[in-house]
Amino acid sequence: MKIGFYQGCCFQGQDAHMFDTMRKVFEKLGVELELLEETTCCGGNTIEEEERELSYAINLRNIALSEAKGLDMLISCNTCYMVIAKAKLAADKNKKLKEKMNRLLKAEGLEYKGSAKIYHLLDFLRDVVGYEKIREAVVNPLTGVKVVPYYGCHVLYPKEIAVDNSDNPSSLEEILKALGAEVVSDYECKDVCCGYHSFYTDKNMTLRKLDRILNSVKEVSGDIIATPCPLCFKAFDIYQAKMESPPNVPSAFLTELMAYAFGLSREESGLKYHLIKVPV
Amino acid sequence: METVTLKIFRYDPDKDNVPYYKDYEVPVEGTLLNALLYIKDNLDPTLSFRAFCRSEVCGSCAVRVNGKTKLACKTPMRELYEIWKGKPLKVEPLNHMKVIKDLVTDIDEPVEKMKTLMPWLVPDPSVVPSDPMHESIIYPEEMELYKDQIHCMLCFSCYSACEAVEDNERYRGPFAFSRAYRFQVDRRDIETAKDRRIRYAISGGLWSCVQCQKCLHVCPKGVKPAEDIQNLRRRSIRKGFTDKPGAKKLKHYVDWIYATGQINRLYLPAEVYGDSEAVEVLKSAYKSMGAEVWEVPKPVKGLLKFRDTYLEVLSKSEEKAMNIDFSHVREIDRLVSDFFKADVCTILDRALSKSYESKGLVDRLKSLLGGN
Repeated sequence: MKIGFYQGCCFQGQDAHMFDTMRKVFEKLGVELELLEETTCCGGNTIEEEERELSYAINLRNIALSEAKGLDMLISCNTCYMVIAKAKLAADKNKKLKEKMNRLLKAEGLEYKGSAKIYHLLDFLRDVVGYEKIREAVVNPLTGVKVVPYYGCHVLYPKEIAVDNSDNPSSLEEILKALGAEVVSDYECKDVCCGYHSFYTDKNMTLRKLDRILNSVKEVSGDIIATPCPLCFKAFDIYQAKMESPPNVPSAFLTELMAYAFGLSREESGLKYHLIKVPV
Repeated sequence: METVTLKIFRYDPDKDNVPYYKDYEVPVEGTLLNALLYIKDNLDPTLSFRAFCRSEVCGSCAVRVNGKTKLACKTPMRELYEIWKGKPLKVEPLNHMKVIKDLVTDIDEPVEKMKTLMPWLVPDPSVVPSDPMHESIIYPEEMELYKDQIHCMLCFSCYSACEAVEDNERYRGPFAFSRAYRFQVDRRDIETAKDRRIRYAISGGLWSCVQCQKCLHVCPKGVKPAEDIQNLRRRSIRKGFTDKPGAKKLKHYVDWIYATGQINRLYLPAEVYGDSEAVEVLKSAYKSMGAEVWEVPKPVKGLLKFRDTYLEVLSKSEEKAMNIDFSHVREIDRLVSDFFKADVCTILDRALSKSYESKGLVDRLKSLLGGN
């Protein structure tokens, strides 16, 4: 099958290797990712501070580009997912807004219809691919690796756009189990925000949160923290490296672990390119 | 009858040295508030909790269930039973507040914090008639601006769930910002009060919000504090508070997305914190691991039309925080063309339909464009 892939900022430019990994992982699952090349940055839940309608325009345009190809859309970043899903929700609920935005998009020859489904990595893997298919693709099971699942906020909150049960989610655990990992799900700071988005508004807030989360991973003797959000991953890797005394907890973006379990090398999976070294 | 165990937080400061949890078996029916009342009526009259209206109006019965904030009268027991698969439910008082007894918390601190943001009307005499017999009219379109915020019933669910309160005790709390915003957009409120309110909001942690969205999630009334915080940030920049890191971050987003369709995380440290070495540090870190780093984002296909859409929205906006800085945009254009050895249009025309493979991609793109 084929799905429109929205890159956001995390699967191109300096992070283009993350897209390579993503594509290889989905190839093994029989899914072809068609890159939505004309899509732009979702605004990172920041452009709303400039003008909320700008966020709607940008993101309904992003969805319209997927609809123009007749494809549903796969978004692999929690924040991109939340922002784009919110724009969809707003336009689907408010006819006036939808019409106004479509008048704008008309100049680009585009129309937001509301027909494309929007998936995050998690619900796409659970509902479309299925855990069984993931299990079948594993050639190098993560046996004995204590993986600590971390969802990140924007796939669970707010409830209107959540892809799993916000109070007691399970999809990430199920995927990690399918990879053969030993899942350590019960740790104190599982639901604490990673602080990524406050790094450029209140840096200390970010560092305090990372300190708490990563130390609580240590407390349960986790080997690695795994997240389906590239931004949480960046916080755990790049921002952890900036801490005064980093707890030295390795982290991985979910598809990197999948790639590794599917038999790709340390380099191909991307695990090689972490600032906090992954001992594999 | 189907039952479930409630493990309830118990603490009476007059008797107990430390809090403890006590188990109660309750029927899986009605709401969580029904279950608490069932305990009080049938099992243990000493249990204390707050509840008045029982119908989602007064906001007094908010508690935490397995760590998640819930308004007890709005939460069906069946739902909790299903989510947690029949396992015991730990019921605790709201977070970030002192416990008076059992599930009853002291709301004084968040209320005092809220007051520092002036969540009240300071009438503008040129708008509000001085004669009290005259009506002070609010038109429906004005009401639109704060029709959600006025539903806040001070249940403190958002305060309990707030990630910023957790790590910055000076932070005023989501509800406080929503209440401040409600008056910030009230036409009858005098401009000098709006100026002060913005200053107070900034010192009250306006830029500390992490935008986790938990406040939207837990609000029983559909208030969206995290979005009101974005709105207040916008207004703070409009009022000239452009030196905050958050304001510089926004400038980065506004200019770079217009210029290239993308932000550029390599340049954020320089543009926000003045850390001009960060670009090279990050590049060499990646290089040492054998990965090539794009210094500038690849301008997206259809960029020029996208720019028109972008400008169209902003030109019609009466609310925007700032104008696009076109001298900055020209600088970015120059960075892009220096990097790819071609102007933006040429890059768009020639480089975009090519296959996508990261390692060595930059070199391949450059050679494709005839540069080096």
